[in-house]
Amino acid sequence: MVNQNSLRPQDLGKEQEQLVQLDNLMPLSFPYDQPDMEPAFPEVKPEWKEKYCTSLDGCVALDTLQRPQSEAEEAELVQKFLNGLEKVFSDANSGVWQPLQLAVEYCAKCDTCSNACHIYQASGGSEVYRPIFRADAFRKIYKSQFTGGGKLYKRFVGADMEVNWETVARLGELAYRCNLCRRCAQACPLGLDNSLFAKEIRKIFSQEMGIAPTPLHEKGTMLQLKTGSTTGIGKAAFLDMVEFLEEDIEDRIGRKIKIPIDKEGADILLIHNAGEFVAWPENPAAFAILFDEAGVDWTLSSSMIGYDSVNYGIWYDDAQAKKIIQQQMQAARELGVKRIVIGECGHAHKAAGLVADRMMSAEDKIPVESWIPIMWELVKTGRLKFDPGKNDFPVTLHDPCNIVRQMGIVQPQREILKIIAPQFREMTPHGVDNYCCGGGSGFAIMHSPNFPQFRTKVSSRVKFDQILRAFSDTITDSSIPKYVCAPCSNCKGSMRDMFKYYQATSKYNLQYGGLVELMVNALTSIDQPYLEFLG
Amino acid sequence: MLLGLSVYLAVILFIGLSVYKVTKYAKMPLHGRMELYPVPQEKGRHTYGGSYMEEPEWWRKPRQISKASEIKDMLKEMLFIKKLFDNQRSLWWKSYSFHLGIYILVIWTILLIIGALTELAGIPVNPSVSFWTALLYYLTIATGVIGFAITTLGVFLLLVRRLSDPVLKKYTTPQEYFNLVLLLATLVTGIAVWTPDLSFAAARQIMAQILTLSVVPSTLLVIHLLLAEVMFVYIPPSKMGHYVGKYFTYHKILWDNEPNLAGSPVEGRVKNALANKAKNSWGASHIQTPPAPEA
Repeated sequence: MVNQNSLRPQDLGKEQEQLVQLDNLMPLSFPYDQPDMEPAFPEVKPEWKEKYCTSLDGCVALDTLQRPQSEAEEAELVQKFLNGLEKVFSDANSGVWQPLQLAVEYCAKCDTCSNACHIYQASGGSEVYRPIFRADAFRKIYKSQFTGGGKLYKRFVGADMEVNWETVARLGELAYRCNLCRRCAQACPLGLDNSLFAKEIRKIFSQEMGIAPTPLHEKGTMLQLKTGSTTGIGKAAFLDMVEFLEEDIEDRIGRKIKIPIDKEGADILLIHNAGEFVAWPENPAAFAILFDEAGVDWTLSSSMIGYDSVNYGIWYDDAQAKKIIQQQMQAARELGVKRIVIGECGHAHKAAGLVADRMMSAEDKIPVESWIPIMWELVKTGRLKFDPGKNDFPVTLHDPCNIVRQMGIVQPQREILKIIAPQFREMTPHGVDNYCCGGGSGFAIMHSPNFPQFRTKVSSRVKFDQILRAFSDTITDSSIPKYVCAPCSNCKGSMRDMFKYYQATSKYNLQYGGLVELMVNALTSIDQPYLEFLG
Repeated sequence: MLLGLSVYLAVILFIGLSVYKVTKYAKMPLHGRMELYPVPQEKGRHTYGGSYMEEPEWWRKPRQISKASEIKDMLKEMLFIKKLFDNQRSLWWKSYSFHLGIYILVIWTILLIIGALTELAGIPVNPSVSFWTALLYYLTIATGVIGFAITTLGVFLLLVRRLSDPVLKKYTTPQEYFNLVLLLATLVTGIAVWTPDLSFAAARQIMAQILTLSVVPSTLLVIHLLLAEVMFVYIPPSKMGHYVGKYFTYHKILWDNEPNLAGSPVEGRVKNALANKAKNSWGASHIQTPPAPEA
């Protein structure tokens, strides 16, 4: 085996069963600093090795990347990859061309980004996860293929990397070892964005080679474009679920609420991540309770994609992203609402708020805002009244990267927490310097053979450690619930999986949920606790 | 004559190629929103990384923009390389010594030119003539000595770090070593040419010769000037021209949070971008034939 520290980007093409072993992970804080507190990585099954690309680190993200059966097939895939690589630097990719060109050209190789990357840190400093490893592999391949000059000149400028099928396959996997959280870009002295390399490789795989993780593509954007939601919930089922939600609210708090659907001319079209209706119905229910109590003029939409804010396209495929954005805007236009408010889902914030912004002309868009500012306004103006004593347990806040680092919505959620949660404490670091939950850019929903283990053990590791440190005062007292407020569906998915994996709920009473649930729990107008773990 | 002319030519090429680089990047297609917070022009909110999107119905409210805070952050980056200071202190000392040295050497060069012109006008640059000549005299000495010392030290330390740090070494290309060696060679020959006389009177004389295209060549001077000229012409197209790149990454990408609203400056650019049909297209089947919605 190649010494892991001396691994070079060129080694991506090496014939070797597995380039790196994840056997030196960053130690966790108390009480997880004890031996046997976490399961080991499961063995890589021989059938996975045969079928997929397990030769990077043994994990599989790209379940649709199947090992070619002949040399001709290999050559075809390599060629397709190179075609895509060329298109990345063309008008087919105009929305990223300039930032990418800058990152290719100006990296000073100072390695400042490594320290900012939670995956690299969690891996215990394993070379392939170093942000400039991936970037340099990309840069070297691009230069080798598309720079003129003789062999000597190419060596001089670093255009010295051969591409074979193994290189392409490992790069494809490596593109899914980055959460696209952009913390590295924030630390870069030259302002370059290494996450672009991961994202562009994903795009080449999807947009040119037709290869993307099933949960993102086939059961993600394709399903959403076909049925209206990545959950596969069609209109009729959605309407049933809303009805169920109304009953659920009545059961929980004894209040009859009519959830408005397709109300024309409403002030607000609220769009949830439809996964919430399935996995955490208490979240959309909490929105309904709060909006209803505050007398907000709002509605949900039941039209195509109008009830699902997710847009997995922004993680791997611009074309898919644009189609979804257009449908969501159309749903809003049809209803004639004044604004779209995105519920607790981080990537949906970015998709509708930022990515959509320059994908459509100004007059075709309905203005988009986060749910956080309006909720803070309802609190600030006294339209919602709270008894913070009901939330008298330790609470910390996880900052979803898309909402905070990438949109600058930092303070209103903290103002709300200061009012409703007397034991609120920050994580370190927090705000725009936060760490990703480990579920970003699709990781939270990718369940192919053993990818969840990579997520919980590696990409979520730094976040889990932050949570342990935030609750270090009460962590061992399991009679005290400790609540991680994670106002984002993907982040909640990560929390759910990491708490289960590390048995953090059963052993230490770590709980997670959104912000609206915590708000409803503290409403003076409601007698019984809303949060289930208090019941 | 030719040697003097080539100096002028190198400086013109330096400026010309830098401008060419700027226009090349400026003409690239409009990119999507990719800001990262803190964005300094967010008045009152930039201290914690907030944005206008913290306001409900933000599009109805006037944007609170602070150019002053943008300039302040820009200067922090330009004058102190703050990001590196915050995120990798051990490298910052070396890099900052080098970059600060360059700034000082630029000032020294300007002072030397002023000094040469002053002497060409018949006024000797020495402390006894007037306050201004005294100022010029001492400032030239201070900037020259400090400039050459810390720039050279900085490049040398950067080179040593790159060669001794196994991580940096692995990712450094021969060209990137060449960049540092070229700078070092120019600086070392520069020290030999410009600083033997620490009053810089001889240096003023050489500068006057260059300005009047009447250089008296010596082997050392020719080598130094040729190295400096190669360096000037080579910087803009190489990654040492990152003063161009950094303008775009900060001002046009990380700090560009201008929303595409009706009547906004970005609206027209978005419309144009949307109207442009791309010549290249992607090959995957789902892009060629999008899925049909189920009824």
